[in-house]
Amino acid sequence: MDALMSLLEGFTHALTPMNLLWVLVGCFLGTAVGVLPGLGSSMAVALLLPMTFALDPTGAFIMFAGVYFGGLFGDSTMAILMNTPGQASAIASTFEGHKMARNGRAPQALATAAIGAFIGGFVSCCLVVFVAPALADFSTNFGPAEFFALALFAFVATSSVVADSVLKGLMALVLGIGFSVIGIDSVSGTERFTMGVPELFDGVSLVTVTVAILALGEVFFIASRIRRKVNDNTINSSGRPFLSRREFGEALPAWLRGTAIGLPFGVIPVGGADVPTFMSYGLERKLDSKRKDPQFGDKGAIRGLAGPESAGSATTGIAMGALLALGLPISATAAIMLAAFRQYGLQPGPLLFDRSPELVWGLLASFFIAMIVLLIINLPFAPLWAKLLKIPDPYLYGGIAVFCGLGIYATSASQFELMILLGIGIISFVLKRYGVPLAPLMIGMVLGPLAESSLRDALLASGNDVSVLVSSPITIVLYVILIGALLYTGIGRVVARRRARNAVAPASRDSESVSS
Amino acid sequence: MSAQTSTKKRTRTAHIGAGTWWQGRSGLLVPLIMAGFSTYLLIGIITMDVAEDTDPPGPQFFPMIIMIVGYVLTILLTIAYIRNPEPVDVDDDLPAEVEEQKAFSTPVTSAVSASRLDPHEEDEPLQDRQALAEARVADSRHRTHSDFVSLAWGAGGFAAFALILEFAGWILAAALLFWCVARSMGSKRPLFDLIMALTFSSLVYIAFAVLLGLNLPSGILGGGF
Repeated sequence: MDALMSLLEGFTHALTPMNLLWVLVGCFLGTAVGVLPGLGSSMAVALLLPMTFALDPTGAFIMFAGVYFGGLFGDSTMAILMNTPGQASAIASTFEGHKMARNGRAPQALATAAIGAFIGGFVSCCLVVFVAPALADFSTNFGPAEFFALALFAFVATSSVVADSVLKGLMALVLGIGFSVIGIDSVSGTERFTMGVPELFDGVSLVTVTVAILALGEVFFIASRIRRKVNDNTINSSGRPFLSRREFGEALPAWLRGTAIGLPFGVIPVGGADVPTFMSYGLERKLDSKRKDPQFGDKGAIRGLAGPESAGSATTGIAMGALLALGLPISATAAIMLAAFRQYGLQPGPLLFDRSPELVWGLLASFFIAMIVLLIINLPFAPLWAKLLKIPDPYLYGGIAVFCGLGIYATSASQFELMILLGIGIISFVLKRYGVPLAPLMIGMVLGPLAESSLRDALLASGNDVSVLVSSPITIVLYVILIGALLYTGIGRVVARRRARNAVAPASRDSESVSS
Repeated sequence: MSAQTSTKKRTRTAHIGAGTWWQGRSGLLVPLIMAGFSTYLLIGIITMDVAEDTDPPGPQFFPMIIMIVGYVLTILLTIAYIRNPEPVDVDDDLPAEVEEQKAFSTPVTSAVSASRLDPHEEDEPLQDRQALAEARVADSRHRTHSDFVSLAWGAGGFAAFALILEFAGWILAAALLFWCVARSMGSKRPLFDLIMALTFSSLVYIAFAVLLGLNLPSGILGGGF
């Protein structure tokens, strides 16, 4: 009941005309950036971050909520119509969604995705309202050792369990943590790795790294690939986005299953929504093959689209709650939001609920508003968004490059920062070229300082006794889960390799399809 | 169609370094970055000016761990790239990137890997596979995997933007950046691009500097204002 009262009060903060305007602007901008090819929701947040500094904190975060969820909606529109997912979490939607669109069911596919995202997001937001305060209370038990365990968990999970290659994942992670130690040490005040350059005393800004990796690096990457562009396979959809009762009934269980899969991943730090979307896709596919009339195949199955969409959206919603209550960013996007909180001098975590309740509850209330606004602007108008693709590539990416420069210069007013942006942009191009995942780099950069300070605090308090790190039940549970996950993926890897070797031996393509 | 494809493939322009040991091993750049950064940390740790009375673990403790892990990863990555060179010229149906992913694929939760790779290959519509094949044929006439001329236009444009911004002012510098990136993306109309670029940078200046009050330099165009 307490939570409901607070939420209602949050709505009174969020429903002022000015804040409603910011939600609307955020939803529009987020969807617009999400729809653009190659650009996902995390990039939308990174590019728009500097532009919100003119607003007060509540207005800025309310706008962010719109941008964040808007980017997700835009990602899936693109995935369905063009077969180009804006970010990893939309890949699973391309499989069945694009096939549906190919078979003349584009409006229905878009509607399925929009409603799925709405259901997943709505359920997760409801859950956050009730769970987040409890989570915040619980996390007051967390000391340095627990926070170190959490950070370590996030590090290992994003770089090893989820990434395709452990080595590449770990490398990105180490680079990220390495960037985060540059600057004046917060504990002792020692100048570190600055080479005496005053601009580096504050460290490398997370905003700079984010824009460099997600936006500028992407522009360079696309520039280096212009001649391998695959033909345009955009599908124009027209007609009303209308689901028949039968289609709705078919999709509903998938939406709910997807939501159920997505929810727990919001608090497990494995780098965002791509794992649950793939799991949901796999589940729908498996269930489908047991039916009498399997839908998966050429025509595109509505359930194979509905599941991943709601799973991704549910994860996103819960991840936001985890960020607010624990101060723990689950994905790159959440990491940028964390940076935004810090820019305003706010530290997400248990204390935030006590210190700035109007901001927290206003933000949670604006999630609901953003969901509804997005459903309104996406359900009927999704095909219109696809018109954005008519902007020719040179001008689109020229504009994005200018916005990168604008955002960074506006926050730092220094040419030095622009050069850092360029340097990291080039590094991230090289990493992208060789298939190094960039999400661990972001996570390392964000959680690096937390890991370092909590590790040192824990060791300092115990007089350099390492056993303090595993002395509480919470830490033991975390480490046990972590070791379990590592063993599970390690065994899975060995089994997969053996299966691959066996599949190669008969050398027939038929045997490969059995595995799916 | 397929006959045409195969004849074109035979006339492939050789990559730089084709046939030498370096073929498919340009990925060694990745461990090189790692080694460079670890060395930067090492130098920083050695030259760090730590106050005498700092309690252990001091400010060097955590970076030291990062540095050691960094060097270990450098060695492992080097071994991995030397043992598994990137397939440069693939003649079968798979795009090079998928092949590369397979060479490097290690512990993935089976659900993720299975759905990430397989449906794409087997279910991909025929047109897409044809388009991919055509793109690969066009690509085979180039000497490098990435288009470094394009890349130089993009990166060079940004460097020029960063250098002249405060002198030339936002409108000119941003227009230059826009123009260079547009060119790097393959635009063939320099004059029209210039007009687009100046319009765009002026609009951004009006929206963000004049209306929202962000601090953008007016530079030489500002003059007496």
